[in-house]
Amino acid sequence: MSKKKRGKRRPPLTREERLRKEHRERRKLFRSMKEKLFWFVGIVFIAFVLLGFRIVYISKEKGDEYTKQVLLHQQYDSRTLPFKRGEILDAGENKLAYSEKVYNLILDANEINSSKKEDALSETMKALSTYFQIDTTEVAAFIKDNPHSMYRVIKKRISYDIVEPFLQAKEENKSICGIWFEEEYKRKYPCGTMASALIGFSGTDNNGQCGLEKYYDDTLNGSNGREYGYFTEESTLERTTIPARDGDTLVTSLDINLQNIVEKYMDGFVAAHRGEYREGEDGVKNMGIIMMNPKTGEILAMADYPNFDLNDPYDMTKFLSQGEIDAMDEEARLDYLNGIWRNFCISDTYEPGSVAKSMTIAAGLDSGALAGTESFFCGGKLTVSGHEIKCHKHSGHGMVNLSQALEQSCNVALMQIGEMEGKDTLMKYLYNFNMGLKTNIDLSGEARTDSLVYKPENMVASDLAISTFGQGYNVSMIQMVSAFCSIVNGGKYYQPHLVTEIRDSAGTTLKKIEPRMLKQTISATTSDTMREYLTNVCLKGTGKTAVPAGYVIGGKTGTAERQPRDGINYVMSFMGFAPVDDPQVVIYCVIDRPNVEDQPHSTLAQDVVKDILTEALPYLHIYRTEELTEEQIRELEEKNLLSVSENGVNKQDTETTEDAQEPAEPVNQYDPETGALIDPSTGLPVQTEEDDGTPSSDLGGLIGIENDPAKALDDDSRIGPPNASGLGGSSGGNSGIGAGAAVGAGDLDVDYQQDNSPSDTQQAPSPGGETTVDFGAGVGF
Amino acid sequence: MAERRKKKVKAENFFDFTLLFTVLFLILFGLVVLYSVSSYEANIKFGDGMHYLKNQSKATVLGLVAMVFAVVIDYHIWERFAFAAYVFSLGTIFLILTPLGREFNGARRWIFIGPLSIQPAEIVKVGLIIFLAALIAKMGKGIKTGSAFWTILGITAVPCFLLLVITRNLSSALIVAGIAAVILFMADPSYLKYILSAVAVAFIALLLVMNALSKSEKMEGKGDFRQARVVAWLHPEEFEEESSFQTIQGLYAIGSGGMFGKGLGESIQKMKLPEAQNDMVFSIICEELGAFGGICVIALFALLIYRCMLIAINAPDAFGALLVVGVMGHFALQVVLNIAVVTNTIPNTGVTLPFISYGGTSVVFLLCEIGIVLNVSMRIRKQEQLAG
Repeated sequence: MSKKKRGKRRPPLTREERLRKEHRERRKLFRSMKEKLFWFVGIVFIAFVLLGFRIVYISKEKGDEYTKQVLLHQQYDSRTLPFKRGEILDAGENKLAYSEKVYNLILDANEINSSKKEDALSETMKALSTYFQIDTTEVAAFIKDNPHSMYRVIKKRISYDIVEPFLQAKEENKSICGIWFEEEYKRKYPCGTMASALIGFSGTDNNGQCGLEKYYDDTLNGSNGREYGYFTEESTLERTTIPARDGDTLVTSLDINLQNIVEKYMDGFVAAHRGEYREGEDGVKNMGIIMMNPKTGEILAMADYPNFDLNDPYDMTKFLSQGEIDAMDEEARLDYLNGIWRNFCISDTYEPGSVAKSMTIAAGLDSGALAGTESFFCGGKLTVSGHEIKCHKHSGHGMVNLSQALEQSCNVALMQIGEMEGKDTLMKYLYNFNMGLKTNIDLSGEARTDSLVYKPENMVASDLAISTFGQGYNVSMIQMVSAFCSIVNGGKYYQPHLVTEIRDSAGTTLKKIEPRMLKQTISATTSDTMREYLTNVCLKGTGKTAVPAGYVIGGKTGTAERQPRDGINYVMSFMGFAPVDDPQVVIYCVIDRPNVEDQPHSTLAQDVVKDILTEALPYLHIYRTEELTEEQIRELEEKNLLSVSENGVNKQDTETTEDAQEPAEPVNQYDPETGALIDPSTGLPVQTEEDDGTPSSDLGGLIGIENDPAKALDDDSRIGPPNASGLGGSSGGNSGIGAGAAVGAGDLDVDYQQDNSPSDTQQAPSPGGETTVDFGAGVGF
Repeated sequence: MAERRKKKVKAENFFDFTLLFTVLFLILFGLVVLYSVSSYEANIKFGDGMHYLKNQSKATVLGLVAMVFAVVIDYHIWERFAFAAYVFSLGTIFLILTPLGREFNGARRWIFIGPLSIQPAEIVKVGLIIFLAALIAKMGKGIKTGSAFWTILGITAVPCFLLLVITRNLSSALIVAGIAAVILFMADPSYLKYILSAVAVAFIALLLVMNALSKSEKMEGKGDFRQARVVAWLHPEEFEEESSFQTIQGLYAIGSGGMFGKGLGESIQKMKLPEAQNDMVFSIICEELGAFGGICVIALFALLIYRCMLIAINAPDAFGALLVVGVMGHFALQVVLNIAVVTNTIPNTGVTLPFISYGGTSVVFLLCEIGIVLNVSMRIRKQEQLAG
């Protein structure tokens, strides 16, 4: 287009002519221009180089000075408004952890020096020493040396009580200047050592360590606000504020009254056995107690030993002498602290021992492998694929039925039961009871146990045999108690959890955490039967010691030998629940290596549980159903534990006053002699119907069977000689004779050392963190 | 026949990809830096950290479209519209006085047409480059005469005067005058008068500084704001909370960045420097990316100017060469002045850093200029390319 138009004005040039003409023009024009371009660009480039040097000069020569200025000004003109970390409350809204505002005292020397008042320095110094007990000679020297300093922290974390009178004095005396305060939050734990590993702690950096503080770190933390000096075009300073967003509050299911009771007896036990056998050592290596609501999976109390003061978590003097602490290097110190901070209840694993027998029998009943009518013969030992495994009663239990097997905690009977179930069924049920899986409780540091349990394909007959009574595989306390809850609550496996509600800083509920039923482990009918068996354990079996006066409870004892199996170190445990017909609380106590000469007595754990339940059950509105003997009444009166109903005087703690006024719930009565249910109106034993309508055999009936020798004999004849049948099945089906022989030799030590397991917990040498397992003779009670 | 020739021309012709990619890189880098620098302030002022980035991105897209047009259109067309462009650009300055003009941040420098806000000073720069290039190309050898010199001076003085009086914008006026000076210097083979002029300008500047200093002593720094700026330049630390606030904060930024900077987005000073995304953006680049990052940016501009020089030398005709020279002068002046201000080498004037400082009009017209330069580069024939 343009070329056509131009063509009208002048005659078109040939391409060659045009090129030549252009070239001529350019030659003339550009001779000077080229030169000047070089000059110009040269000057520009020199300017660039000089500016580059100038930049390097500024950052090299003045870098330090300017960096200081930047940081100084940042603190002066724009400051962070710290957020308040959320609180942790127990079920009764008591504060377990909260943050309190504290103040850092900042000195602005520049302001003092530029004050128009003559006495600014002296008055300010006077105020500092009066209200804050600060050594003013040092401060005055600093002001003299750094007259332009605008920001210096003089004293940290002063509470408002101390700051307030100073602020008043400052109002009145205008000469006081150059002092201002920076806000900060300090974390406080009003309960001190209570539930220490469960709550966890966080420093001023708001970084949660262990427990709830770590697990809910993000929820508890808010975001900092900011106040900044903002400069307008006219360079006037304007202040703008973005307020801090405070963290959210956690409401937990923990009950500090129950926690108090639990810790009182735990500490009592530890103190009672301190230095008893192993000199200079604590009463236990580790100890843990969990109380759980079987209907929801909520944790009511969880205590572990060793515990520590949350307000001073780095203090080791409770466990070590100053000399020992000084001798440690930084790493050793941290390792030791991690051991103390570790929550035994969730982070440590051990062999569950005989408590696991309840899972084995529940599996048998639920799968149909057991009819409930079987009897077994215990001769004190059983040979499994050539390897002799002993019962704890070396003389043998004789003939036992299913309930008695549990009552007496008979290993031989359990091994036979395992034989009848087969490894696939048992492992399927153990897996269903969440063995080898995390419970995903909302606490940080839960142990992984997936590599600490058997896989059915790798199991030999001896593995199956010892698994039936809780040896050979490892569990954590929280796994065990959650599984046990499902055995007694109708087969519902609830995810154990602590936090029931999350609120924002204004108190508005953000989230309610409802009980989460994960699976049905066993049927409700099996659960009913198991409750009966477990009640028998405490009525006339190995669990008698755990029964608090005036109550009927169910439960199971456990004792497991620790690695190395030298017959010295044991883990004692007791798992209990109450009331027996409708469990409202499950308690699990584990004592790892008590400091006593003769360890393997589960009565140690039972005594602790008994003491706890004696206090805790009335608090939980669970009332006595049995007649108290004279002796029991005397004992209770000594401990001040008799409530209104028994002696007419309210001696309960103030917390329970409210409870005592409520009408007592109708409680089932048991005949103290037979343990049979009694109809309150008639006074006669009754047959109860369960909620689901399935008639369950009552306790009286069960006892009847036991007391009938003819019936027992009948069972025996039907099954045949128990040792023969057991062995026959075993040797016939077992192809792993070689493995069995190795087990027999006692050399096949499979170390399930926790340190080798892919655990996400802190790998610190806890006082008793190494849990090892071998195939040697397991002992169960 | 025409078809064949076109093909041939296309095949022979040259396109300066180096320049194109340098510019594209600078634009993208500029957007990243702009976001880093402005998000904090944008959040406070508008509640949207992306506010400045969004505006700048829109302008950049518009500018790229304009650049494509400038690349496609034969630059000889501008020769015919040169006077019109000059008059039009002057007209836009007058628009500021109409209701279209609006005061913003205490200065009346913008006109608003619908959603667009335009800074006429940027249009004036382009208009003047085109007009002067066309005029001088037409003059040919006549440029050597005294009358030509004064004519050009007069043509330049008009927009400078208007910008000073109407927009009270000294820096824009200075840039406009500077561009004219560069074009004139290149076109006129004479050296002496330009060296003399430079000496005279330097002398006047010195006098002004002395004047400002003596006045400030008498009036304790309460002279007019330009004088105050001169004093602040010499003693930035003393006037930290007053007139040299911006300068000293910029210096703090550069100094605290060190050799390799605090990292992108980590600047502290951007919270303190008012309007850090405008003139002082280079100091934040130095804070975040260090002296090294700053020097890299300078190197990119050096490359851009070097490519402009090559194109100017090889341009097919005087008009094209002078257009490129004008654009090159524009870039060189702005970059040198901006960085000199930021490093406190010269007193504070409000010169922006091309492609990186926030400013939509600036980006659009700078891209137009680059488009014109690229179009000139397309007219260079391959065999002549080596002439540089």
